[in-house]
Amino acid sequence: MSPRQLAGIAVLAVVALATGFVLASQAKAQLLTPSNQVARYQALVLSVQDLEATNAASRRDVSALRDQIDALEADAAARSAKTQTLRSQVGDLRAHAGLVAVHGPGVEVDLRNGDAATSVTGSGYLITYEDVQDVVNLLFAEGAEGVAVNGRRITPLTAFSGSAGQVVIDQGSPFTSPIKIVAVGDRNRMVAALDDSAALPSIRAREVEFNLHLAFFGTPDVTLPAADSSLQTSNVSPA
Amino acid sequence: MSRRRNRATGISVWLIALLVALVATIQIRSEVEVQRSLEGTDPTALAFLIDDLHRANDSLQAEATDLKSRQAQLRSGQSGAADQVLGAEADQLREVEGLVPVHGPGVVFEIDASGLTALDVQDAVNNLMTAGAEAIDINGERIVVGVPITAVSSPVTITAIGDTTRLTLVADLMTQQLRADRRVRRASYQVESDVVIRSVISEKPFVYAVPS
Repeated sequence: MSPRQLAGIAVLAVVALATGFVLASQAKAQLLTPSNQVARYQALVLSVQDLEATNAASRRDVSALRDQIDALEADAAARSAKTQTLRSQVGDLRAHAGLVAVHGPGVEVDLRNGDAATSVTGSGYLITYEDVQDVVNLLFAEGAEGVAVNGRRITPLTAFSGSAGQVVIDQGSPFTSPIKIVAVGDRNRMVAALDDSAALPSIRAREVEFNLHLAFFGTPDVTLPAADSSLQTSNVSPA
Repeated sequence: MSRRRNRATGISVWLIALLVALVATIQIRSEVEVQRSLEGTDPTALAFLIDDLHRANDSLQAEATDLKSRQAQLRSGQSGAADQVLGAEADQLREVEGLVPVHGPGVVFEIDASGLTALDVQDAVNNLMTAGAEAIDINGERIVVGVPITAVSSPVTITAIGDTTRLTLVADLMTQQLRADRRVRRASYQVESDVVIRSVISEKPFVYAVPS
């Protein structure tokens, strides 16, 4: 056997050995695991998409039904002074509960994720529901008469939740950055509060550390949509 | 003959090398695909999101059913139907907006701490709202979203009315977190079958907002 043939056999043996190792590690790591993970993940994503579509349709139904009821009540009020008075009271209560679209002077606040590259570990560069909650609370504390987040009106029963850069408000689908918060009220007072370097400490610290983006401006007229979430209560009764 | 065998050996080597490269590529690509697809959201967070969306959709469905019933009542043409519907809605909105005293099942927290900030209290209120609280009182002040929370003095008593099963889950977590907080000397809660919240909010008329 010539040296070239021996070398060829040696190379073949090394390659075969490498193949064996790869196949063995493949079998050990279970090649199907990643693809199963993907399939499971895709199934979860599809479920979320279906539920979000149902959610959007239900919100449209709720809004449409409220409009139809309002029209029926307007008809009834046209025939009775007592009903007219009641309707006026309910209209005021609905407005304060966020069930009526309103407009007026106010502010727009823009929140965006920071730079992922600045955060080696953790998710400090992401906008969280706590950030949104803090801005909304600040605006209400400064006299906002109505607030909406990405077109979703805040009500007296609004709850903020979410995880990993997702913001869930009431019974809605999650929002991710960018988040636009709009408020109607004394715009000078709200802008001054947002401008205060002592306000929103967590956001301001992450603005510096992770390039989180907070921008705001006053505007002479902004519009807030009516809430399309549920305000049902089943546990409280008048005392 | 020998040259032909050498060529066959060479081809075999290249074929095997190709196979190795192919398997390695498939493996690496599938791993990358998994990583890319899982980027941003992990499956556990998705599972929680699905749970939340199910609950949200059930609430919206219940709201739609209630609205359809009101609509049917209004369409019935019965005398006083509109007054009944409007009166019932007015009562419900006064409860939601904190304008009237209310009672119902709930939980009562007692927290003895020093240095609790308005942000701490806002977080507690939001946790209870997330658990479906329908009315909240803190140290005799009625709280709804939109009512500014300023500093609170210790001891803090938080009363929340709502579904006690959901409120208890959150109350357990909140109590654990509070007990781990150095500022907190004592934190406990009690589930009550009926608690009364007598504090109310005085509604302020809109100055800037105009209904569209």
